[in-house]
Amino acid sequence: MNKINHLLQSSLKASLGFLGMVFINFSSLAQEAIPLKGDELFGTLRARQIGPALMSGRIVELEGHPTDARVMYVGAAGGGVWRSKDGGVTYQPIFDKHPQCIGAIALDPTNPDKNIWVGTGEIWTRNSVSVGDGIYKSTDGGDNFTKMGLEKSERISAIEIDPTNSNVVYVGVQGALWSASADRGVYKTTDGGKTWEKILYVDENTGCSELVMDPKNPNVLYAAFWEHRRTAWSFNSGGMQSALYKSTDAGKTWNKIHNGFPSGKLGRIAVAIAPSNPNILYSVIESETDATKGLYRSDDAGATWKRSNGDFELTVRPFYFSRIVIDPKNPDILLKGGLSGSISRDGGKTFRTLGAMHSDIHDFWFDINNSNQITTGTDGGVYRSWDGGSVFEMVKNLPVSQFYQVSLDNAKPYKIYGGLQDNGSWYGPSESPGGIENRDWFSVGQGDGFRVYRHPTKANIVYSEMQGAEYIWRYDTERRQSKIIKPLAEANEPKLRFNWNAAMNLSPAKPDRLYIGSQFLHRSDDMGETWVKISPDLTTNDPAKQQQENSGGLSADNSGAENHCTIFSVAESPLDENILWVGTDDGNVQVTTDGGKTWINVAANVPNLPKNTWAYQVEPSRFDKNTCYVVFEGHSSGDFTPYTYKTTDLGKSWKSIVTKDIPTFVRHIKEDLVNPNLLFLGTEMGLFITVDGGQNWSQFKNNVPPVAVHYIAIHPETNDLVLATHGRGIIILDDISPLRQITKEMVTKDVHFFQTNPTVVREDAAFAEGGDAGEYVGDNPSRVAKIIYYLKGRHTFGKMAIEVFDKDGKKVADLTPGKSKGINVVDWAYRLKPPKVAKAKTLSFGGFTSPRLPVGVYTIKMTKGTSTYEHKIELKADPNSMHTDADRAAQYETTMKLYAMNEQLASMVDQLDAMRDGAADRLAKNAKLKKMVEPSLKEFDALKETLVVTKGDNYVGAAEPQFREKLASLFSEISGYAGRPSNAQMANVKVLEERFNDAKTKIEGFKTNQLTKLNAQLLKLKMEEIKLRSLEEFLKADN
Amino acid sequence: MKKIKTLALSALFALTAVAAQAQTVDEILNKYFANTGGKDKWMAIKSIKMAGKMKMQAMELPITMMQAADGKIKMSANFQGKEFVQVAFDGTNAWNTNQMTMKAEKMEGEDTENIKRDAVGDFPDPFIDYKTKGYKVELEGKETIEGTECFKVKLTKKPQKVEGKEEENVVTYFFDAQNYVPIMSRTMVKKGPMKGMAQESLFSDYQDINGLVFPFTISYRMNGQTGQSITMEKIETNVSLDPKEFAFPDGK
Repeated sequence: MNKINHLLQSSLKASLGFLGMVFINFSSLAQEAIPLKGDELFGTLRARQIGPALMSGRIVELEGHPTDARVMYVGAAGGGVWRSKDGGVTYQPIFDKHPQCIGAIALDPTNPDKNIWVGTGEIWTRNSVSVGDGIYKSTDGGDNFTKMGLEKSERISAIEIDPTNSNVVYVGVQGALWSASADRGVYKTTDGGKTWEKILYVDENTGCSELVMDPKNPNVLYAAFWEHRRTAWSFNSGGMQSALYKSTDAGKTWNKIHNGFPSGKLGRIAVAIAPSNPNILYSVIESETDATKGLYRSDDAGATWKRSNGDFELTVRPFYFSRIVIDPKNPDILLKGGLSGSISRDGGKTFRTLGAMHSDIHDFWFDINNSNQITTGTDGGVYRSWDGGSVFEMVKNLPVSQFYQVSLDNAKPYKIYGGLQDNGSWYGPSESPGGIENRDWFSVGQGDGFRVYRHPTKANIVYSEMQGAEYIWRYDTERRQSKIIKPLAEANEPKLRFNWNAAMNLSPAKPDRLYIGSQFLHRSDDMGETWVKISPDLTTNDPAKQQQENSGGLSADNSGAENHCTIFSVAESPLDENILWVGTDDGNVQVTTDGGKTWINVAANVPNLPKNTWAYQVEPSRFDKNTCYVVFEGHSSGDFTPYTYKTTDLGKSWKSIVTKDIPTFVRHIKEDLVNPNLLFLGTEMGLFITVDGGQNWSQFKNNVPPVAVHYIAIHPETNDLVLATHGRGIIILDDISPLRQITKEMVTKDVHFFQTNPTVVREDAAFAEGGDAGEYVGDNPSRVAKIIYYLKGRHTFGKMAIEVFDKDGKKVADLTPGKSKGINVVDWAYRLKPPKVAKAKTLSFGGFTSPRLPVGVYTIKMTKGTSTYEHKIELKADPNSMHTDADRAAQYETTMKLYAMNEQLASMVDQLDAMRDGAADRLAKNAKLKKMVEPSLKEFDALKETLVVTKGDNYVGAAEPQFREKLASLFSEISGYAGRPSNAQMANVKVLEERFNDAKTKIEGFKTNQLTKLNAQLLKLKMEEIKLRSLEEFLKADN
Repeated sequence: MKKIKTLALSALFALTAVAAQAQTVDEILNKYFANTGGKDKWMAIKSIKMAGKMKMQAMELPITMMQAADGKIKMSANFQGKEFVQVAFDGTNAWNTNQMTMKAEKMEGEDTENIKRDAVGDFPDPFIDYKTKGYKVELEGKETIEGTECFKVKLTKKPQKVEGKEEENVVTYFFDAQNYVPIMSRTMVKKGPMKGMAQESLFSDYQDINGLVFPFTISYRMNGQTGQSITMEKIETNVSLDPKEFAFPDGK
């Protein structure tokens, strides 16, 4: 609370742990309930986000500041809200406590620096779209948000704020996508969001898909209504209820304004009003005939409309692209979202396609000062044009990538694989020199990407797929050749039905085995060359759910996204290759115990589950072959209930393992590899963890936003938990082994240290380049040793300290303890403090080197109040080391010899300074000393000039290096390399040692001769003697 | 340094550690002052001098901080026996030491102005007589910080000037709901490459100095990531501080 503390600017670079596996016998652990929740349990355990941002992800909404061109907000389909305050160079996520699926963002015209509104729930309603949970408001420029209701809105399309009164806000609610709902229409608040009134409602199938306000008259509003519905197997856009309405009395009354519009059924309607001339409106209409679809313009504030253009870009996929944005200064320049996006400069008569960027353009922003500067939001992130839309550059630091799946390999460091919405299939490293950058990722598949696996034993082989299994590839990442290996229908077989996100999995038992699910389960034992169908149709094969050709409504939309009655999940038991589990999108759970000869549908045995609920994931246990977890997921029928079940008898009976702790639907469960009571749940709004087999669940929040978690993997060696998020890329919780050790007994102790595997002292130290502000850089795992302990309560009063001692009981570090209630992770860099180097005119940069400690067992001593606690921690040599123990010993010995010489030199210079300054001081006080002192001063100065730099600065004014600088440089060089010093370095040690001894002799000479004589003289003159500090005294002092 | 009255302290906090009921922000602040030595004692402070260590990875730097009731401040760190002023304010100039030339340089005019606006009001604690200072304090409910239930108190001080624009100057404090001392504060960085990021200071190791309770350890987090920490070794109050210590050393 002291002022001064707030002024400290931090340059922080902390990261999370790298710890090995911990061997603990869990068989003795009963499933005792551990009711500790959330941060009280997880403490300071923190995940790291690694992006990537090179492909970025779907953007729903762009909103700039009305008067400050530096400020821009980006709303992502699954990645929250990002704010730039620097003209779009860097962005920060500002919505991390709330659901990440965004519909609309608005800035209050009266107070745009402060009042920011965010409506959740994406409005570009593709099959994979997530859900929102209401409207939020910030009154501090987006630093904090508070929910302001409309919880059941599911999707918010627009927010319009009265420019004359901040408390008056209109909200367009598109509403539920997969079910009928009365929670849609136009809502209004007059008290800043405390209460809402539904001021325009059509019916429970028709929502408000766009709402605009006249910029010059806040009583005038236009609202587009859209009749639409999606199911798991179909999509319908259009109906008699779709319409465009206008109000001129602040929403009290509304009239349809269709004069000039086509009759019959209408679909999605886009509408925009020219900021510079509110009489000019544009609308894009989805209608029954090609002749009437397209762009309409009104020059009389909606009283009449005239069709001007029906180009492809205007009419393509209205459910996905219904946004028109008009130049703020010129009403004849407008942009329209589309497959490529298009721009008109003649009032909508003609359009040209926008320059190359990622396809599927959803929103735009014209710079307020320069209309040639256009920002776009696409399926692949944010792009910017500086020339009015011909050439676009990508914003490369928005990690809003939407993974469907994640898998890991056994490389060191391990690599991460997965497929993304409209952004292909990729792999990238779990660590990289300087951080994980865009350039570290490699493409291994086109189209929409889904499931990706590295072959378990052949490191050059990767499997990937695209939507609806149009292609399944086996890709050789070394030779860069891909072979299409999808199973094909044999003679007299029905067409194979593949899900949009088709089931694919490896076998834990046979490295060359691969499973693919259509309606049948296909198995290959030769990496996809030959396929054997090992099941009958495992789905319900309901013909009513197989009419995808007719899907789309007014505009046909048969992309494969609605393929249904397919296998969605397949897994072979890690304990028995003949036990296979299959989940289908139409609600079947099938199990075989004889490798596919016979199958049993066990879905009917699952209690309290609506029929045909999507069996989203099967997770056979690795501890018991009769045990399996199944996640069901009903959101595509409007059911957001979490369903996760466990069977211990091969599906005969099931028990729900979710509790009311889980607020929304679940997509994935992962059983821990070591502790069967530790389970991880990927929900639509974040990661949940249980440590007691599902009796209590806690959301893990530290750097994991409530983002949709589609898939989870655990690395068997690093124990890292890796999340495929659908909107925030890959998030890693490094080393979950502490979570395996939580017991009921443990949480009652004041302090409990967790067992950690020895820390590998990594010796690689790559040159790293990059990290420019415009590029995303994901965090690396930390290499330091972790001291992990649990505290029953937060330590606030009195001293608490952590010291580290080596095997001889010598203290090697003082650490700042973590003091949080719950789990604390304290980094120990296993390095000594830098040596205390001689004081000089300038700094010795080599002197800031902290030498690394040798491997071995160290004792951690925690002092907390009057209690002390001890724990051992081990550092072990890098198994990939190119050095012998003897090399390392030689390096450490030489380093420490130079460390000691640096400190001794520092003490010698301290003594020399004391003699010099003392002598000069006494001379100033008594001129009689001149004859005796003056020659000494010259000698002192002459020596000092050779020992340390006495002039210049720390940059290009630097003086010629002297002995201190040479000694510190050599120390730093040798310290920085884990192996034996070079012969040149060793020879140089000798040279410097000689110089050191020479200097020491000289200073000792000064002490015995000049100083003794001077002090004797001073005694005679009754003047103060000159005292020197010993080495020990000098090292203890701060100065 | 006076002996630390740990036992007396824990007894004091045991008394106030009652189940948190509905409270006003002033009640919370009054309890905070009562639990840290009393408001009168805080108000009697004219100067504070602290010495300690800043730790960052394996580095450990001796640091000193000085503050006076008239708003003068100085914080410096010692590198290899050389004193580097991180920030100092003499009432007119805010300055620091350039790392290259090791000479004093004035901070940007706007930063100086902002330090000036906060300097007097923040000493020794911004919550003392906050109304008189024109500060605003609001209770924003509760939040769990460090696994601990806290009162979230928003302190709005005099506006800061950021790139020519007046901006609200907010520091949010989290007071432990059991014992009413702040365990964390949070500000949003307003300028420079870190702007928009949350900077958090975690307070612990509260100890008694002449009847006042100070946090002896402060750890810093930027956007949730733990960075350096400061541990005080010596805190003195009402020592005489030479104005020359704070003065911008013109021409040097």
